[in-house]
Amino acid sequence: MSEARRIPFNNPGWAGNTGEFQLTEAQVRGDEYVGKRPPEGGHPSGTSTYPYMLAEKDPEAPLFEGAYQERFEKIRSRYPDARSALLPSLGMAQELRGHLSPETMEQVAQLLGLSPAYVRGVATFYTMYNKRPVGRFLIQVCTNISCSLCGGDDVLQAFLNNTGTEMGETSEDGNFTVMEAECLAGCGFPTTVQINSRYYENVMPKDVPEILERLKAQGE
Amino acid sequence: MMTDQQSPQTVTMRIDGREVTVPTGTTILRAAESVGIEIPHYCYHPGLSSPAMCRLCLVEVEGWPKPAPACKTTVAEGQVVHIESEMAQAQRTGVLEFYLLNHPLDCPICDQSGECQLQDYVFAQGREHGRGREPKRVLGRDDFGGDVLFNGDRCVMCTRCVRFMREVAEDERLCVVERGNRAVIDTFFDEGLEGSPFAGNIVDICPVGALVSKDFLHKARAWDLDRTPSVCPSCSQGCNITLQTRDDLVQRLKPRENMDVNGWWMCDFGRHNYEWINRVDRVEEPLVNGETQGWPEALGSLLGRLKEAKGEVKAVTWAHSTNEEMGLLKAMMEELGGSEVVYRSPRTVGELQLPGFPLLARREDLAPNVRGAEILGFTRVGDEEAEGGLDDLATHKGVLIVVGDPLEDQNENFGAQAELFIYLGSYLSKVAGNAHYVLPTTTFAEQEGSYTNVQGRVQRFWPGIRSPGSARPGWLILGALFAEFTETEAPIGADQAFVQVAKGVPEFGEITYRDMGTRGAPARKSAGVAGD
Repeated sequence: MSEARRIPFNNPGWAGNTGEFQLTEAQVRGDEYVGKRPPEGGHPSGTSTYPYMLAEKDPEAPLFEGAYQERFEKIRSRYPDARSALLPSLGMAQELRGHLSPETMEQVAQLLGLSPAYVRGVATFYTMYNKRPVGRFLIQVCTNISCSLCGGDDVLQAFLNNTGTEMGETSEDGNFTVMEAECLAGCGFPTTVQINSRYYENVMPKDVPEILERLKAQGE
Repeated sequence: MMTDQQSPQTVTMRIDGREVTVPTGTTILRAAESVGIEIPHYCYHPGLSSPAMCRLCLVEVEGWPKPAPACKTTVAEGQVVHIESEMAQAQRTGVLEFYLLNHPLDCPICDQSGECQLQDYVFAQGREHGRGREPKRVLGRDDFGGDVLFNGDRCVMCTRCVRFMREVAEDERLCVVERGNRAVIDTFFDEGLEGSPFAGNIVDICPVGALVSKDFLHKARAWDLDRTPSVCPSCSQGCNITLQTRDDLVQRLKPRENMDVNGWWMCDFGRHNYEWINRVDRVEEPLVNGETQGWPEALGSLLGRLKEAKGEVKAVTWAHSTNEEMGLLKAMMEELGGSEVVYRSPRTVGELQLPGFPLLARREDLAPNVRGAEILGFTRVGDEEAEGGLDDLATHKGVLIVVGDPLEDQNENFGAQAELFIYLGSYLSKVAGNAHYVLPTTTFAEQEGSYTNVQGRVQRFWPGIRSPGSARPGWLILGALFAEFTETEAPIGADQAFVQVAKGVPEFGEITYRDMGTRGAPARKSAGVAGD
């Protein structure tokens, strides 16, 4: 597991008081106020949200060892009922392994003393758990209202075209999986794209090849 | 019904104009039930928790801004509930329309048809025509293992099955996979329900045809079945069941509610152990030395032979015999000066308890009336398989009486040396070939009678199918013989037979068939009540 380069936290989320409604595109996108977004993507403000997605995933990773074991025990001690610890535990399993396979669900069930069927019911209820393997970079493009109005569907299409994949499929080199996401809470800077745990805001179709190149280079 | 003695533990409210007084904490649905009003519902089941998720039991409560789910809302003093008001009816019609968005309406090929709550409710209160134009979702079928087949398209997502497995069976094998319009009931991938001894109950509680029995699949239509209250003969628990029969064949067994014995449930062993009832190789006429004879002649000559007989009398029966048969056999033996009666019963190791309803377990004794035999003082012989233990009877030279047990394990010389060998049974086993008198008896499904279960509870059952030929209930045959022997009145009904039997047995006390009703009555002094 390699540590991704740390980006200093710099809140870009302040559009200022525009005072009126006749805005240029640049004004809508907030260029003037926040300048260019970091090319590596920004730190999502809700960074503690599970699952935290790493580029390096090992579907065979043990559940759980070392620091993860400590985290697991901490989570477990937080709740009187093992069922309450299920969501964060699944989150951690996904963080390590990239997706929740039937084997993973069964192992988590065993760790928490729950029935595998119950774990499957919970895991499938939440869309942020991947039930199938995903690429090293999981690209989630928002197509909800704000982003859609600012061309989110074109951005999604651009990602699909540039990675040469179908929606939800993984590219041949195993790098990219592109999915449509509902609101990522980045409505101030559409279109918002979440790639693993980073936020790319104000993305336009023309930016897509550059983002992908950068990611590819990161992967090598 | 408000009186001065009204305790504060009850509330009085009105449902559709009727005044109802119920204990505090009762739900509207139960309160309505108590005065015979059924509020349509799917997810609610008296044996399970109420998640109030089917939204079908929404009723109007006066003064409330929104409709309330009757299965979860508790009654309050002076509350006025409308079930048939315009608003409440509109609720149900609307909810039912949603249910039909994806329901395939394949009633003509659905096993649940005729006893389907969706069918009933839509017929009563649904829209005449659907307005949906979108294609319905198609999920197909899934074999859940065991006896359960899942038809995803028919499911209304009431989750009764999931909650049964979680709360009652405490073996959580089912879950709701996905959510929203993609939600579907499933097991953990290929795990299935195999090996769960109570999984068959989810077929019973499924309000629609989503979960159906593979054993019963396409065997009969619900409206062609005759239903007879009975008692499960597969173990000494004596679960209350309904014999569901068509054309004098038992098609399936279903549990019948009895909160003192089995709740709403029964185990899969009992549920599927019914094919022997439909065996056709039965004795149909009395056989005297291998020759068919009418009942009057056969019994007449038997009576003479019994009176002349000099040898000692020995008798064997099995734990499938009814209280009446056993009691009259005992009386007969006493009259003839015979020795003790022995019986045999198969036995398994360990009980299979239903965790959510601990009164119910598949008991170790795999026959219905072991307790009855014990009360009557019979001696148990033989091994776990109900075999052997009859060596002194096999070569007995006096009078030998066999009631019920076909003695399949004995060799063909059993009873060959007996002076007089009387066999009362349903099947012509090889042993019966040696009998001087073969008197055909009915099975429990063909006669009225009673069993005493492991709790010492005496429970009645009723005839569900016709007996073949001129087979007669054991108590009728033994009762007639006994009466002729003692020159008394013969019982002409099982109730009279029971009274006659109970007379000399303190445990049966003064219980009558009337006391037992459909739910049984506890025997007196029944020490060692199991499962309590």
